[in-house]
Amino acid sequence: MSRELSRLLEHPAIWRGRSAARTRTLPTGFPVLDEGLPGGGWPQAGLIEILPSCFGAGELPLLLPALAAMTQRPQARWCAWVAPPLQPFAPAFAESGVVLERMLVVQTQRKDAGEKSALWAFEQTLRSGTCDMALAWLRNALPRQIRRLHLAAERGATLGVLFRPREAARNSSPAALRIAVEPAARGARVTLLKSRGGSRYPIELFFG
Amino acid sequence: MRHRRALELPFKESTTAPTPQQGPSLRSGDLLRPIIGRNHASTLVPAELWLAVHLGAPSSQPTPQDLERLGARVQRLTPRVSLDPPDGLLLEVKGSLHLFGGTEGLSRETAGECSGLGMLCTLAIAPTPLAALVLARAGRADSGGERPRRKRGSLRPAASAEVVTDPAQLIGRLAPLPLALLRWPQDTLDRLARVGVRTIGEVLRLPRAGFARRFGTAQLLTLDRLTGRTSDLKPRFEVRARFRRRRELLYELESHAALGAVLEPLLQELGEFLEARQCGVLALECRLHHRAVPPSRCVLRLASPLADPMQLAALLGERLSALVLPEPVRACELRSGPLVRRVLSSGGLWQPGEQGGGAAAQAPQLIERLRARLGPEAVHGLRAIEDHRPEAAWTASAIGGSPARPFAACGEPSQDHSAIRSPRRPTWLLLKPRLLNEREGLPWRRGPLRLLGEAERIETGWWDGGEVARDYYTAVDRRGVRLWVFREREPPHGWFLHGVFG
Repeated sequence: MSRELSRLLEHPAIWRGRSAARTRTLPTGFPVLDEGLPGGGWPQAGLIEILPSCFGAGELPLLLPALAAMTQRPQARWCAWVAPPLQPFAPAFAESGVVLERMLVVQTQRKDAGEKSALWAFEQTLRSGTCDMALAWLRNALPRQIRRLHLAAERGATLGVLFRPREAARNSSPAALRIAVEPAARGARVTLLKSRGGSRYPIELFFG
Repeated sequence: MRHRRALELPFKESTTAPTPQQGPSLRSGDLLRPIIGRNHASTLVPAELWLAVHLGAPSSQPTPQDLERLGARVQRLTPRVSLDPPDGLLLEVKGSLHLFGGTEGLSRETAGECSGLGMLCTLAIAPTPLAALVLARAGRADSGGERPRRKRGSLRPAASAEVVTDPAQLIGRLAPLPLALLRWPQDTLDRLARVGVRTIGEVLRLPRAGFARRFGTAQLLTLDRLTGRTSDLKPRFEVRARFRRRRELLYELESHAALGAVLEPLLQELGEFLEARQCGVLALECRLHHRAVPPSRCVLRLASPLADPMQLAALLGERLSALVLPEPVRACELRSGPLVRRVLSSGGLWQPGEQGGGAAAQAPQLIERLRARLGPEAVHGLRAIEDHRPEAAWTASAIGGSPARPFAACGEPSQDHSAIRSPRRPTWLLLKPRLLNEREGLPWRRGPLRLLGEAERIETGWWDGGEVARDYYTAVDRRGVRLWVFREREPPHGWFLHGVFG
């Protein structure tokens, strides 16, 4: 391949089937997972979906090292939690090195018709450009809503993490990365359901 | 009369010969009255001239609102206005004398303002604020309020105004006035009356040290302020500015969508109003008036002062969209809360989210917007507390207006996060522990729970009523989810679910 062509292919807007997309990434803190993920880590902007097999399958420890690294940066922005299903327990995060002052918890009403306010709040946090990471728990997000969230996240240069039940994997989604998580002995098993050139095999993670 | 007063004041000695009988009283030690030498007196041109207004309503005391209204109106005469509740008002008029035709013109203008509000007043002008007040209190209330429709500023001789511009004459004018005008405690006045001191002149003849010992230094300070021996600083009255505009609509509005367009000019005006004062608002009320039912109110409360009409419109729009309109809207009204000084900062070059973009400046806006729609308590931070009880080990912290400040934790050496060291605390906490079933001595949740490791005993809190005595275990359920469960050490020994790992 000529040099011009290879240089052209380095352009971040171009990605080919099996090659990893050139996106700015953040190490996950798990070397095994970094190898499997396109670009070697979590994307720094855009929406990813995490589909745990059940609540508490290990989806949060998966993000904790990246969360800690992100909030410890001197120029760190907020890390928003939109509509968390339970109370995030501060001592656990402090233990993992997460700077709690960067956390922003946004509670929405329990009886939230169609998760409207949670969707709205998530989009606002993604779009505002004031968050490094925004986590949201939504049950029934439609593909066009996810598309909108993805665009908002790219505009705000925010990593949006959407937690959805495993059943949602049957429906299509415009998210750049979809990950299924299931519990394993002292860790979790991660499968990339959709990625731009990531690993196709399940990855075993050990949470120590 | 003039002769006697002149004799009392030493620096008039040159013009009038002292009489022998006045001599001893002047020389008998340190007196309360300042003894002004000739050289001193020549330099003592009054630096200030105070006009005091004593309000005497015909039936009752003026309300604080009356006083503030008058204070706001007389600010056109001088910038230095201070209130002396409950019924006094002080104006420093030295600088305004030549603008309003001297003391007479100023008195006339002030009396005109009072009668415009339908209040009776007496005026006095003196070099010290307290002396002016005392003189004004002594003056007879003239019939200023009996013709309330008198045109403001009409020619009315301010004959009632006592004018003392010369500090030298001040004490002579004050001397015959009764002590009660100083508004000392009745007890002090009674004690002074018992020793035969009933007028200001008499009290000024008492020796300072003895007076301070018997009647207190506060009273001595009053006398010093009265005579101008010490300065009397008065707090300046500033009008509390509020924004309040109402817009009548030409047609009746039924939809929320059009409300934004109707409110926009009002908000624009509010923005200009705030910009001119370099202030922001913390509270904004929007009232929508209907034909029959009372107006719908929508109150916006902000965490940090805001003045940008666009942002205010966005926030108010969020609030209004949740409002149910009982009837079509006929008029809308905007009322601001008190104005708050705003820290002005220059705008950023970068868009938020760009390299170096102003995330810090944007964050309060995000929080305001979320709060406007979800409620003020919906957005909060997290804080860990040093407490062994899980319920008390965290708290929701308030988020202020300045989010991105350098944190102490940023400078700490980063720990090795290549792998999470076994976290002993769960990432999720149930606010209320959930009772679990028990089978064969083990907790049960959709199947038997397998306990991992040893128990962690938490037994504390007896001192503040929140006593707990529990054995915490990490348990794994049928699907492999790790749970944080505890067993009560008190008799029923129930199993509870308290947290979820991951």
